[in-house]
Amino acid sequence: MTQSAITEAPVAGPDVPVARRSPRLRWILLAVGLVAALALPWFVYPPVAMDIVAMALFAIALDILLGYTGLLSFGHAAFWGSSAYVTALIATHYGVPFPVAVLGGAVFAMILALPIGYVSVRRSGIYFAMVTLAFAQMVYFIGYQWSDLTGGENGLQGVPRSFFGIELVETESFYFYYAALPILLFGMWAAWRIVHSPFGRVLVSIRDNSQRARALGYEVEKYKVIAFVLSAGLTGLAGGVFAISHGFVALTELHWTTSGDVVLMTVLGGIGTLWGGAVGAFLTVMLADYLASSGFHGIDLVTGSVFVIVVLLFRRGVWGTVRHRWMVHRQRRLSSRR
Amino acid sequence: MMSKRIWAGASAMTVVLLLGACGGGGPGGSGGAFSGDKLVLAVLNDQSGVYKDASGPNSVKAVKMAVADYQKKYGDKAVVKKIEVTSTDHQNKPDIANTKASELYERGGADVILDVPTSSAALAVANQAKTHKKLFLDVSAATTALTGAQCNKYTFQWAYNTYLLATGTGTTVTQSGGKKWNIIFPDYEFGQNMTKSFTTAITKAGGTVQGTIPTPFPNENFATFLTKAGSTNPDVIGTMHAGGDLINLVKQFNESGLKEKGVELAVGLMVINDIHSLGVEQFAGTLFTDPWYWNMDAEARAWADRFLAETGNRPSFEHAGNYSAALQYLEAVQEAGTDDADAVVAKLEGKKVNDVFLRNGEIRAKDHSVVHDANLARVKKPADVKEPWDYEEIVTKIPAAKGFPPAEASGCSMKP
Repeated sequence: MTQSAITEAPVAGPDVPVARRSPRLRWILLAVGLVAALALPWFVYPPVAMDIVAMALFAIALDILLGYTGLLSFGHAAFWGSSAYVTALIATHYGVPFPVAVLGGAVFAMILALPIGYVSVRRSGIYFAMVTLAFAQMVYFIGYQWSDLTGGENGLQGVPRSFFGIELVETESFYFYYAALPILLFGMWAAWRIVHSPFGRVLVSIRDNSQRARALGYEVEKYKVIAFVLSAGLTGLAGGVFAISHGFVALTELHWTTSGDVVLMTVLGGIGTLWGGAVGAFLTVMLADYLASSGFHGIDLVTGSVFVIVVLLFRRGVWGTVRHRWMVHRQRRLSSRR
Repeated sequence: MMSKRIWAGASAMTVVLLLGACGGGGPGGSGGAFSGDKLVLAVLNDQSGVYKDASGPNSVKAVKMAVADYQKKYGDKAVVKKIEVTSTDHQNKPDIANTKASELYERGGADVILDVPTSSAALAVANQAKTHKKLFLDVSAATTALTGAQCNKYTFQWAYNTYLLATGTGTTVTQSGGKKWNIIFPDYEFGQNMTKSFTTAITKAGGTVQGTIPTPFPNENFATFLTKAGSTNPDVIGTMHAGGDLINLVKQFNESGLKEKGVELAVGLMVINDIHSLGVEQFAGTLFTDPWYWNMDAEARAWADRFLAETGNRPSFEHAGNYSAALQYLEAVQEAGTDDADAVVAKLEGKKVNDVFLRNGEIRAKDHSVVHDANLARVKKPADVKEPWDYEEIVTKIPAAKGFPPAEASGCSMKP
């Protein structure tokens, strides 16, 4: 059984996680990931480190839809941005500790996702992408026009970072990172649980053959809507933390380019790999930060070129390619042993 | 067995890192009168967009001139030997300005941030200055909120504000017959604040504002907004745009046929580079407020000659303002003997200053507005232009007390 799964894995492409059949490797990888997340602000400027982890959860949340349900959402900025605004508004007006505000933002994103998802999942492929984009643009213009609430072009400024009166966390971004990290790690854990649950398996079956899934008695649309709402909720967690970290929310968070950026990160890391999103976020944010601090203005040009190269040469994405190579290697070793 | 050992190793590492994070991490303090044994002046402005010409890279050069002048003046007596000037692009976006300002203070070791056009971006930087307790001398942003509702101990507004522009231009144009106004404004802090200030000034002078029309910022096509503004037959269309947006709008206004119908265009904020890039004939006769003009007197002209040699351009008031802000900051540091923000603020507050830029200048302690004499200017006719950049004729001086709102009315409270 184990043998046949490994033999088949490379053919199945990036769908079956490598660590699945090898618990030891899974634990090592998880430990390495955790250590990397904990060590990040020691090597990277803390606010940038926070951006990386928030974007990582954003990309992972998108991957639930893109990689595991086969739905390319091009409107996730709506959930990222609206959660950022709601989080900031709660934090500004009620002065609650920031995790509470972030939770409020995530809940709002899920509520918003329900009608959008309900309408959108009736279409698939490019139509789904366009419908979600259209909804996201509507949310953008609401944010733009309702300037009494959102500040319009000026954005929401001076969002407080309350945390039970612990001043170190409230003022130093280094300590704030460790206060906010658990929220994001929880989000990643939840994504992992969703994908590896029976529910997640159903999603994959819907992606691969929705007609057969329907024939087996699964309510395909309902599953899709639930996946959409869960993805939006996790996106909301990330967006909320991002807003608190910056102490500022601008219309950029709702803009369609944000939706594009996160798709880019997910594809760069590897679709359907979950953790690939984190790799993609790390590479994209670090690259942008490096280019910006070296005074280079054509950031989009470089990230765009990288995207094209990845799509043409490493279709599985960075993480997907690494995983694929590893599986081929293992397979060879096992067959030679045999 | 193997897995257990690795797992144990990994968890041990995690614990060590966690402990380290709780214990020794974070930014450390530094001794001495100067953090990092140097002074860092960070210019944060538009290096690539609509406000590039009015300020941009040449403001960085102006700040460098101030540093050179400071070093020349004090020589060995200078309290700090190593002075760096850095330049960062904020693309006129408040979120980028917010992130960059935080980075400059934390990672770049900046002691002061200078310039920052785009009012929404400037407000974001003011917030960061307050958080990090470091100085922010704003030159190119005009919103009165910087020295009003959102003022703070570490933020100063050096050159001008929307009140000055409105009192100068709005009042004068209304009194000379332009009673019915329609205002077109870019829909962000600057435009909104300008519209408010102009409406007040126009109403006070006996005029009426028929309508206010917001446009996106930045924007290319103003045709629909101009048509809408012209539809109520106003005497004056007031544009609150600046930089590249203003140039586009004026071009489109001149082509729209509104001029022939007798509609006058009043410009809320004009910088000499706008006249330079569009040509004097497009603006001839336009009245506007200029906080400083390079040819207004011998002292200004002497500095403008140096600036011309340095950059190949005559300076705008924003360039001169940056020079002045950097120079007065350095003087205050020299007096304080440290780059500690609180000590420098104490030296700046209430100081009366006269320099290349500031005439009858005072750094008001109450609201951190730097008030000074400004000018009401008229754009020359092409025939009257005698040399390159000779575009303005000073109509009258606007004394500091009249051009700036009284400190009591600012609504500023320095308490955190």
